[in-house]
Amino acid sequence: MIPYILRRTPSALVTLLLASVLVFVLVRLVPGDPVDTLAGADASPETRAAIRDQLGLDGSPVAQYFQWLGALLSGDLGTSYLVGGSIADLVGAGALNTLVLAGSALLLAVVAALVTGVASVLSRSRLLDAVVSAVNTLAVALPPFVTGVVLVVTFAVAWPLLPAGGVPPDGFLGRPGITAQYLALPALCLALPAASVLTRFLTEALRTELRQPYVTTARALGISRRRIVLTQVLPNALPATVTVLGLQVGGLLGGAVLVELIFAWPGLGMLVEQAISTRDYPLVQVLLLLSVAVFIVVQVVTDVAHAWLDPRVRWGGAA
Amino acid sequence: MRVPARVATALLAALTLVGCSSAVAEQKSRSGGQGAAGGTLVAAIGTDLVPAQFYSGLQAASTIAGLTYESLIDYPVDSLEPQPSLATSWKLAEDGLSLTLDLQPEATFQTGRDLTSDDVKFSLQTYADPARAAQLQRTAAAITSYDTSDPDRIVLGFDHPVSNIFDLLDQVPIIDRESIAGFDSGTKYVGTGPFTFDSWTPNSRLEFSRYDDYWGEKALLDEVEVRVIKDSTSQISALRSGQVDVVLGAPARDLEQLERSGEFRAERLTGAEADLYVGTNVTHPALADVEVRQAIAYAIDKRRIAEEVYRDRARAHDLPWPEYSPAYDPELDQRYARDVAKAGELLDGRRVPTLPLAYMAGNPNHEAAAQIVQANLAEVGVETELQPVETSQFLKQLIGAEFEALWVTEHTFAQYTPSTLTVSAYPFNADGNASRFVDADYQRAADAAWKVADGTGAEASRRYAELSRQLLEHLFLIELVETTQEHALSSAVDDIAWSKRGEIDLARTTVSR
Repeated sequence: MIPYILRRTPSALVTLLLASVLVFVLVRLVPGDPVDTLAGADASPETRAAIRDQLGLDGSPVAQYFQWLGALLSGDLGTSYLVGGSIADLVGAGALNTLVLAGSALLLAVVAALVTGVASVLSRSRLLDAVVSAVNTLAVALPPFVTGVVLVVTFAVAWPLLPAGGVPPDGFLGRPGITAQYLALPALCLALPAASVLTRFLTEALRTELRQPYVTTARALGISRRRIVLTQVLPNALPATVTVLGLQVGGLLGGAVLVELIFAWPGLGMLVEQAISTRDYPLVQVLLLLSVAVFIVVQVVTDVAHAWLDPRVRWGGAA
Repeated sequence: MRVPARVATALLAALTLVGCSSAVAEQKSRSGGQGAAGGTLVAAIGTDLVPAQFYSGLQAASTIAGLTYESLIDYPVDSLEPQPSLATSWKLAEDGLSLTLDLQPEATFQTGRDLTSDDVKFSLQTYADPARAAQLQRTAAAITSYDTSDPDRIVLGFDHPVSNIFDLLDQVPIIDRESIAGFDSGTKYVGTGPFTFDSWTPNSRLEFSRYDDYWGEKALLDEVEVRVIKDSTSQISALRSGQVDVVLGAPARDLEQLERSGEFRAERLTGAEADLYVGTNVTHPALADVEVRQAIAYAIDKRRIAEEVYRDRARAHDLPWPEYSPAYDPELDQRYARDVAKAGELLDGRRVPTLPLAYMAGNPNHEAAAQIVQANLAEVGVETELQPVETSQFLKQLIGAEFEALWVTEHTFAQYTPSTLTVSAYPFNADGNASRFVDADYQRAADAAWKVADGTGAEASRRYAELSRQLLEHLFLIELVETTQEHALSSAVDDIAWSKRGEIDLARTTVSR
């Protein structure tokens, strides 16, 4: 497995380097300027010049890029222009919150997909199929800002069972019961679209596998349908679903921006929104590059999991 | 999975979710009892703190300033008569070239250190630093000397009389010079006010506790928590579910509905007004003609904007001054009352091309107002093209005077001494503004209004009248309505107040359920 990972490393590094250039250029192509944000509407040219000088924005873009890259390579993520403080600290605090939220959502999505997918092929009930299909369509069609508001109005306002937003006051490990209550609505909101896509893929993969000759043979040997599904069909259906799962992780991180805003969850999504709206160049650059890095890591992990689940990939060296 | 195992799993999940205690119940059990001291007030704000923009007056900074800091004087919300705060008395020289202020001897910073005249000098000089982009920077820069030989008295010197000097003294928070590094990084805000700043968790919350050695009457609340909830719908949900007690700056569209329920009320921040206006680029070929600008002013239905967009919580006007301003003149204020026929006469024979009309995207009030302006202008044959512009880009275009023709947005500072508007507010600045309007007479009128010793005296009023006449005659900026920010409050909250700066004042506030 290690040689397999090593083979993927150079391309991942090149992708990251190209992404750093792209991110640096894109951020500067966005209309607006951190000096405008800082100086405000009534600023004099002298004020604007003083701020530009203070932020180090008076050098050439190329010099600014290499300065940023050099600092990154030496482990210095820089200082935020506007949000304030060390970017490493800001990203660290936000990343933990986003990781907990996205991790919970992923867990919910995977469990929901497994239960629904397996139940769907085991029951062979048309009614269950129709219900699952309708819920899936709704979950994909409704954007998080709609499902988020519906969940808040239902479970926090009309029927006040769960907090409308925020993070647990004693941290995530202080009181797990309270943490679960704070996580329930945002994690569910974030998980719904991913769960729907995973359910569809898994159900289809299970049905394809159920048509394979080895299933007919197993049935002929008198093995129960449930046992065949759980011990033979499900493991064979998983590799394709794992690939989709990798793509869904990217979707979860993107969706976190909206969900964090709706549920006042102070993660990377809220930080991205704040950094972009204030044109905080160093912070936006680090956050975008981080998202590229996370996506690359997730893809590598997905490929490794795929190879682990499907020996043909390992042995064939394909990836 | 067998049935008992399923039931056990479901029970375990339910128990975990509901927990031994409820997060909702915990959030609701923070009051001090009926009208009593103590307890925690939880407020929601829509934007997080940006330490580098502390002096910009944005919501989070304004909340810190209201709770933790004090200024030298305070204006009452309905007048420009300075009242003592950290300055107990003052004397302005007859020629207006110096101002002596005696400081409150009992005042201490929340670190326990006594307030001195050096702290006042440091605060004013910090505010005057151009890199800090404070709104009244130009007025602060007009202070040319400081005498701090007596720790309880400071004498400010000027090269010319400054009519809005008390506006500056009302605006500038007196900060602790020993913790300026924390002030810059957002980790430490030390002032002399009734609450101590405890912490800031980015994108999450600000926390405060009562300052028990406060020199004045101590606050009744034990603690204040300010939560950052960026989505306005989520703010209202948090208020309705009892998880927050106050929404600072609640959207007008939600206030009517909240008030109808009887469990909530709206508190209008009278005295801290903002003004919605249509800006015009006077270098645009069609708008260079003042009669076209006048026609636009006559064509717009300002009352409809006040009634429909602001649900009757705004006042239609033609000049920026509120009714208590020394520059207010009721007759001049309705000079361009809607008159479609007159607008048609003024436009007679003129061919006006389609005019781009920009507004800040995502601001529902500005968008609705822009649509009404568009419809009104179409009635008199002037076609416009609506252009929603992202906030940061809008600000850039405003500062850079880059709008092609027309734009709709708000300005503030009209609630202060009138010269503050023409000295410090970019849309009005006589030396350079978003409309690209430069005129020697207007410059002279603005300068004369600024360089008068008594900003509320008879001579000043005469000069403000000339300023108003210039504004109405040149009409490079068409005022629409005067609006007032509002807070949405749970009925459990009593005695909430605010300053003319729009900062929340919780010194006498109680929370009870």
